[in-house]
Amino acid sequence: MFEMNTAEPMQVDVPPEDNENNETECYVVENPTLDLETYAASYTGFAKLYRLMFVADHCPSLRLEALKMAISYVMTTYNVSLYQTLHKKLAEAVASAGLPDVAVQMGSQDIPVLDSMWIESKTKKAAIKLEKLDTDLKNYKTNSIKESIRRGHDDLGDHYLDCGDLTSALKCYSRARDYCTSGKHIIMMCLNVVKVSVYLQNWAHVLNYVSKAEGTPDFNEVPGKDSNQSILTRLKCAAGLAELATKKYKSAAKHFLAASIDHCDYPELLSSNNVAIYGGLCALATFDRSELQKQVIVSSSFKLFLELEPQLRDIIFKFYESKYASCLRLLDEIRDNLMLDMYLAPHLNSLYMQIRNRALIQYFSPYLSADMRLMAAAFNRTVNALEDELMLLILDGQIQARIDSHNKILYAKDVDQRSTTFERSLAMGKEYQRRTSMLILRAAMLKNQIHVKNVGRDTGPQSGEAPGSSTSLTPRTFDTVPL
Amino acid sequence: MITNFDKLCGDLEKQELEAPTGIASPSTYAQLLAIYLYQNDLCNAKFLWKRIPQNITSSNPEISAIWAVGQKLWKKDLPGTYQALAAFNWTEPVANIIRALEDNIRERTFNLIGRSYSSISIDTVVSMTGLSKDAVLHVCRDRKWMLNEDGVTVSPTPPTQPAPLHTSSEDQLFKLTEFVSFLEN
Amino acid sequence: MASPLEQFVDNVRTMSASGSFRELCEVIGKSDEVLQRNTAHLSTVLETLDIQQHSLGVLAVLVAKFSLQQGADVDKSTMFKQIHDFITNCNGEQVRFSPELYAELCHQLTNYLVEIKQPIRGIEILKKAIRKIQLFDSQLTSIHADLCQLCLLSKCLKPALEFLDTDVTGIGSELGGNNDSKHFLLYYYYGGMIYTAMKNYDRALYFFEVVVTVPAMVVSHIMLEAYKKYILVSFILHGKILPMPKYASQVVCRFLKPLSAAYHELATSQHAAIKHRDTFIRDKNMGLVNQVLSSMYKKNIQRLTKTFLTLSLSDVAARVQLTGPSQAESYILNMIEEGEIYAMINQKDGMVVFLDSPEKYASPETLCVLEQQMAACTKLHQYIQEMDEQIQVNPQYIKKSVGSHDEDIPATSQNSKTTYSM
Repeated sequence: MFEMNTAEPMQVDVPPEDNENNETECYVVENPTLDLETYAASYTGFAKLYRLMFVADHCPSLRLEALKMAISYVMTTYNVSLYQTLHKKLAEAVASAGLPDVAVQMGSQDIPVLDSMWIESKTKKAAIKLEKLDTDLKNYKTNSIKESIRRGHDDLGDHYLDCGDLTSALKCYSRARDYCTSGKHIIMMCLNVVKVSVYLQNWAHVLNYVSKAEGTPDFNEVPGKDSNQSILTRLKCAAGLAELATKKYKSAAKHFLAASIDHCDYPELLSSNNVAIYGGLCALATFDRSELQKQVIVSSSFKLFLELEPQLRDIIFKFYESKYASCLRLLDEIRDNLMLDMYLAPHLNSLYMQIRNRALIQYFSPYLSADMRLMAAAFNRTVNALEDELMLLILDGQIQARIDSHNKILYAKDVDQRSTTFERSLAMGKEYQRRTSMLILRAAMLKNQIHVKNVGRDTGPQSGEAPGSSTSLTPRTFDTVPL
Repeated sequence: MITNFDKLCGDLEKQELEAPTGIASPSTYAQLLAIYLYQNDLCNAKFLWKRIPQNITSSNPEISAIWAVGQKLWKKDLPGTYQALAAFNWTEPVANIIRALEDNIRERTFNLIGRSYSSISIDTVVSMTGLSKDAVLHVCRDRKWMLNEDGVTVSPTPPTQPAPLHTSSEDQLFKLTEFVSFLEN
Repeated sequence: MASPLEQFVDNVRTMSASGSFRELCEVIGKSDEVLQRNTAHLSTVLETLDIQQHSLGVLAVLVAKFSLQQGADVDKSTMFKQIHDFITNCNGEQVRFSPELYAELCHQLTNYLVEIKQPIRGIEILKKAIRKIQLFDSQLTSIHADLCQLCLLSKCLKPALEFLDTDVTGIGSELGGNNDSKHFLLYYYYGGMIYTAMKNYDRALYFFEVVVTVPAMVVSHIMLEAYKKYILVSFILHGKILPMPKYASQVVCRFLKPLSAAYHELATSQHAAIKHRDTFIRDKNMGLVNQVLSSMYKKNIQRLTKTFLTLSLSDVAARVQLTGPSQAESYILNMIEEGEIYAMINQKDGMVVFLDSPEKYASPETLCVLEQQMAACTKLHQYIQEMDEQIQVNPQYIKKSVGSHDEDIPATSQNSKTTYSM
């Protein structure tokens, strides 16, 4: 958290690594069992639009439906540019789906047509509204009534958001900060900023403002109050999302687990089902057995979330009961649907991997030796594939064991503490000697003012060059094989 | 007969460095090269070979023959090494060093086999040591390596460690005192 | 009236006799021009001076005589013998008053031997020359670099090791101050190359690391070449590129990486060696790159020993991408011989059993090793303490540390004796 606080307010997120980038862009989900109607109904605003677009991008079978829903929703806003983008996508989808163009031109009932009238009138209206809000704000400012100015900024922010101009919206919401007169206002401001930052995927910013809100003095005063509970849940959800996006799965899990189901109403960002899935998977991937039991399985509040996602509940219980084969099979079954979740999809592979590894580690933990054939059966794997998996875990230090590949038995490694201690202290001694002699040399270097500098003594073409630039270095050949 | 090769090595190195034109006698080069091989110091052998002037190597086949051995050693080609050793009719004083070198390689190889194999075919041992099959069987008996029932593999045992060196307890006590006093201060 | 040259000889004689060597050094510093102008008579001057008694004077004359600025017409036929005689017979205490000149003479000899392609002849003299000027064994002089250069050029590396193996604790004054750092960088660069050639990669890495961490305002080509080798040796030794120490100068970190991209690529791509073959060959590092490749196999086999108790030889070959069981067997055998892994090959079953290190740390040898290591650490620790004490009593340090409390006394010292932070 601390690190996040010190980050620049507008800092750009570190771009994800290349291989991951490809992964998120290239896959296609063939057979989801998603009911798009219900799914979309859980969200409003950009959450709905973005999620529908994500589904459209990754699932050909739902593409048309998703785009149509998105278009009909976007028409309730001032977001003209997104409307146009969606239509472009739709046209592409129609073309690639092999529908004859004629159908589109004929205004086939199914496919909405780009409505240029709508675009024109919406653009005009948006401009008028913007002008009005702007003049309002100017008036408030001349009268310098703090509360009105704050609202003016918020209204302007809302309008920008409605138009799809996220950056301007963020600016307006942030400007409201100077006119906050109560803790409640500050929290409102934070929530606005958090929301837009999530849309912008600026996760450092999200965490920053979540902690700002939580640190507001009024925030903790009336803990029992419903509105506070609902704000708290919103903040937890947003923070969880940010931690998930930045791969800090364990702390993501903790945030989601702190959400309260009765106050979980945050359609601008996520649904209660999302909280259940995100929290459950992250917990499964990162919690140890006792954490899982205490914080997930017997947690009265999270239990309610899990009831929304019975499959996931089964998975967690199977895992806890060490029925790994069925647990992993169930995980595979829900995989396709989860791959259509825009926030979860990029992390699903690594979460699944971690869950699997955790299962392998737990499976072996009570044994001194284990038959890999039985183990492979328990994990739906061939013995050879299991061997590879175990190898990585052993190299990573997660399982202290060694594989007898001849007899296909996994043996726990008995570590000779005494020898390891000797080994380590000798290595430490060597390292100390290396560093210290380097230190002594460095001290001597500084004392004699040895440093590489411009050689400016002779003026000429070489001046300014470091020493050695034209040194005739001796031949450097280290052939492996002399001939 | 010279047996202290380390001292001879130092002398020869000095001879080379003090040679007035920077070029030593062929005999110096030959012996030094052979001794580096004997010491299993292949890096220095390689660089010595590289710095011997070409007119000397071309007119002294023995030097080239020694390096032929070195090359095989560098490539860890044991059978080739024995072939190279046998391929030349060595003359004194090099012959003396070469004999010691051959014994040395063989001894090292037997120790390595003992450390690295739980079972090995006799043919492999024959090619790794350059001995005849009978000689190998003889050494195996000496080293108490069991011949397996199949008659073609033996089960080597690791070489016995040389007896640990003994330090006086007084000496140890002294060092311990020093160490403790260091820690205390 | 005495000519300036005669005056010079006179000065040398009287000042040497009275032991005013510091003043003599000043005179010599100003006589450079006189000597240069009278090259024809220098041989005569030499005859009137005694190497032992007038070491500084002779040194000055010799340097002037063989100075490169004279062009090609200098008679160098007697050079080797004269310098040899001088270094053998000169008075060490006297010449220590002018280490720059002394080092210059050695540089001249080195250049000459490189020129006539007889580098090996200089090795013994330079060894002697270093020993003579050093105040203590672990003092670095600028002649060290010359010695290493001659060793490398003559492919006779062993003589350099006795110097390289001694960790430097002090540096000759001729290396620092206003002089450029070339000889310092070169010593560590050449040293790293010598250790690399001797396959002592641990030390080689240490030496290359020194080169790239020298405080720098600009990047020297020596540093760049050293950095390339640092990467390669780091691969051979650790299987990855070790990060540069934090105290490396910023400019170095900024410039070296982009300039050695091909080398960095070795870490991520197996094809980098082929893709950048021309670069590696041009840098004359192809031999090392090949060694990196073969060390990768070894690193992979070492990983196997950590995960497996038994494995068939063909599995080993498949897992580390060797051509077949027999190649795997020979790799394993070599690694056992080098003590890099502990394993038992069973030829009958074609299996290999990986073992833990048989070392139980219970033998008298262990005790012996421990004692040696502890003694080495203790010695270093004591040295650091001494250094600390020296700083405590250093006037500048005291002034500065007091100055920070009392602002009336301005802190004057800037560079010297500041910090040992790494």
